[in-house]
Amino acid sequence: MEKESIGRLVLTLTIIGIISALTLAFVYQWTTPYIKEHQAVAQEKAVFNVLPGAEKFEEVTKNGHTFYEGYNNAGSRVGVAYIATGGGFQGQIELMIGVNLNEEKIYGISILTHSETPGLGARITEDAYKSNFVNKPFGDYTVVKREAAEQTEVEAISGATISSEKVTTIIENAVSTIQSAYGGGM
Amino acid sequence: MASQLLDDFKNGLWNENPIFRLVIGMCPTLAVTNTTENGLAMGIATSFVLISSEIVISLIKKLIPKNVRIPSYILIIATFVTFTDYFLKAFYPGIAASLSLFIPLIVVNCLILGRQEAFASRNPVHRAIADGLGMGIGFTWALTLLGAVRELFGMGSIFGFQILGAWYKPMIIMVLPAGAFITLGILVGIMNLISREG
Repeated sequence: MEKESIGRLVLTLTIIGIISALTLAFVYQWTTPYIKEHQAVAQEKAVFNVLPGAEKFEEVTKNGHTFYEGYNNAGSRVGVAYIATGGGFQGQIELMIGVNLNEEKIYGISILTHSETPGLGARITEDAYKSNFVNKPFGDYTVVKREAAEQTEVEAISGATISSEKVTTIIENAVSTIQSAYGGGM
Repeated sequence: MASQLLDDFKNGLWNENPIFRLVIGMCPTLAVTNTTENGLAMGIATSFVLISSEIVISLIKKLIPKNVRIPSYILIIATFVTFTDYFLKAFYPGIAASLSLFIPLIVVNCLILGRQEAFASRNPVHRAIADGLGMGIGFTWALTLLGAVRELFGMGSIFGFQILGAWYKPMIIMVLPAGAFITLGILVGIMNLISREG
């Protein structure tokens, strides 16, 4: 094999790199509006999902966190939603939580992204698990491996205790983030 | 001529099936085949990247100096993979969400680089297309079958439809990584048995 000049090697890779970058720039421009739209729709759905009674919402930044304040038709605030993330059993879990600040209770949660085991930890997205956090007062939650008897007890998914506990921790942290941004026990 | 193309095509379907015979591209094979739908989607995405890059590389093979052929191939493959990633996110957000990280990881799927090195860089473009189609379909059917077996035993369903009744207690191990190894081993065994008798 004859030795190839270094210039030819550099030139080849540069040309391929330029063509590749141009192609991808075009693809990026073409697909970005669609991707943004999907994300916006998903986020909007999640906000209305965790703030029952809300008709519109506003994005508010406090303490460096973004909150979604939901308002009803009469224009009064029904609650605040917040996107919380934390480690799960595998990878990050991102969820949206909606709270009623006046009554100090959680309206509900919605799992946005996760990479938990299908059939086990992935069941955190099912209503059976999410109902653990519907209309619950703020507080310290305990994960139990039986039917939840008290308001602050969370029934673990069988075979996925770690996922169940991780979500509970994310929610506890989220509640305290929201409370500190909105002035403690207001 | 036509029979050679047919041979190139059929090669990947059975005799040199990427998963059951060559046993390459194991990362997506083991990771995403926990449901039938994921297996099928991963197979199609990989096939698209495989066929497109085989065409391009076969066309420009004479222009690429030997010393930089691997980085050149990777650049071309990465371009098609990024395209696929954006395309799925824009038009099939559900599939994009369930495959997530494994789409970008197609870049390092050794099946794709392997076919460029072993086939596309040595053969004319029409044979490269036949090879890409055969290997792609071979990869896809194998992934879909793996996904179907694992989903059936692990969750009692196929393509999300409940097949087995409430009496069936799902074998959770089948949707975990260990289930992929077990299923793969059994399927390779069955394939060897069929080939020996035939």
